[in-house]
Amino acid sequence: MTPTGLLSTALLLGLYVLLAGGYGLVYTLARLERWRNLKSVAGVFFVLHCAIAVLIVVSSALAPGWKLLLVASSVAIFVIPPLTWRYLEHIHGGEGTQ
Amino acid sequence: MYRSQTLAVKYLAAAIGLFGVMTIAGLLSAYYYIDPDFLFGLLHFNIAKILHIDTLVIWLLMGFMGAIYWFLPEELGREPVGIWLAEILFYVFCAAVAVVAVVFIVVQYGGSNEFALWFINQGRKYVEAPRWAALGVVAVMVVFGYNVIGTVLATRKLTGIIAVLMVDLIPLVALYLDAFPAMTNMSQDLFWWWWLVHLWVEATWEVLIGCIMAFTLMQLLGTSRRIVETWLYIEVALVLGTGILGLGHHYFWIGTPNYWLGIGGFFSALEPLPLLGMVVHAVYDAGTHHMKTANRPALYWMMAEAFGNFLGGGVWGFMITLPQINLYAHGTQWTVSHGHFAFWGAYGCGVIAVAYLVAQKVRALPEVGGALWKWSFAALNLGLIGMVGALLVSGMTQSFVERAIGGSTLQAFIAGQQDPWFVSGMLLRFIFGVIFALGYAILVYDLATLGKRGVVLAAPAKAVP
Repeated sequence: MTPTGLLSTALLLGLYVLLAGGYGLVYTLARLERWRNLKSVAGVFFVLHCAIAVLIVVSSALAPGWKLLLVASSVAIFVIPPLTWRYLEHIHGGEGTQ
Repeated sequence: MYRSQTLAVKYLAAAIGLFGVMTIAGLLSAYYYIDPDFLFGLLHFNIAKILHIDTLVIWLLMGFMGAIYWFLPEELGREPVGIWLAEILFYVFCAAVAVVAVVFIVVQYGGSNEFALWFINQGRKYVEAPRWAALGVVAVMVVFGYNVIGTVLATRKLTGIIAVLMVDLIPLVALYLDAFPAMTNMSQDLFWWWWLVHLWVEATWEVLIGCIMAFTLMQLLGTSRRIVETWLYIEVALVLGTGILGLGHHYFWIGTPNYWLGIGGFFSALEPLPLLGMVVHAVYDAGTHHMKTANRPALYWMMAEAFGNFLGGGVWGFMITLPQINLYAHGTQWTVSHGHFAFWGAYGCGVIAVAYLVAQKVRALPEVGGALWKWSFAALNLGLIGMVGALLVSGMTQSFVERAIGGSTLQAFIAGQQDPWFVSGMLLRFIFGVIFALGYAILVYDLATLGKRGVVLAAPAKAVP
């Protein structure tokens, strides 16, 4: 790994998780407020997250196993907010959408 | 009010006091980087740092204990068994902390012998307290466990949260015993030492704060027991599932077998996933209640806990957790940046939330508001974010200049320390540290005078039970 590759990969990894958090946050706000536009913003966050994942896979010197793990994590990240939301709705008895 | 709750108030007051000592010691430690001759011959940098990180552990531990002593009698409907013993031990605990601090400041260090281990400094990071004091901590924790488990047995009442708490208390006490061995093999010593440091922080403490936040949610937002308990089980399972073997990220470079690179990297990479679920949960809870509560400071600090945990543990941790990056980043200010953010997010904010909740109950305030808590909230979080940002810049510079370019030689170390980016980062860290300290001062004033200033009743937002 080159010195600049070290910094860029680390920053991309941070951004990868930050955008995942942004996606989760905006997705939840969109469902709470029932605001369709906000749901699109959540989608934008996830697309950006995926773009970062692709950039890491293509440009970083990480070992292939870690790249595979990142791709698999992105799939998990995509489903965590809707699954969590559905489960919260279930245990709260639909409180969030009333 | 139960005697246990009076004890809880004392523990929380002591915790907030030690939070102040930690802040002052942190400012001192930060200043040494700007002026290395500061207090030369009087107080060494390492002593200021020991005070900073040891009081971090103790203030959080006291905060957790205060929270549990507050909620326990309400949960089980009676005074905890053996509360008199806990009351005595509280004063012993405080006296021991004071004596250890004085020894650290005045004596500072001893020789490489048994006397120094027992009476001056064990020399192991985070658990430097001499053995007599470490034994005292074990005694306090054992009595704490006895108070909880004995009360459950006496009442024959076991709730879901208390069950999780009881299970958690066993490793909480047992892992601390790991503070004692003094092995001469550095790899073996570090191997077991990380069990104490990592498994306390990323396993037992996570469960403990989960229980405390479950109690807090029920009191703050009136969330039903069924909901908080269900969520507690899930979060505990997810956090432990990734956190326990996430221990491996500390085993990369201490002389352990190569397979730890894979185990540690894999489970550490999964650690942000449950934190993402927590963010969704926090926003859901706050959103369904439209951020309305009779205690806004407590709610905001709880929200800060969820986001701080995600940012500090998740984002900051993920930058440096994969072995290929960690090779260059470990032991630099980059990890210090991650540590500050993660501790603050995961635990500091939670203890402050409980302090506000307890202050409201003790003074029977219908509502907690005013402006001071906002200033304190803003200054503490701005100060913290500024500090971790500055440390991140310095740490990246070290990794880049000293490790990646210079190959970790002494010359490269000096080049890293003299790099303008590193120097500027350390200066900014101190400046933001001062802002953090101001926030702390406002926090103390606000907590101490809540209900006594005549401005407590905020704009009457309808309180949601």
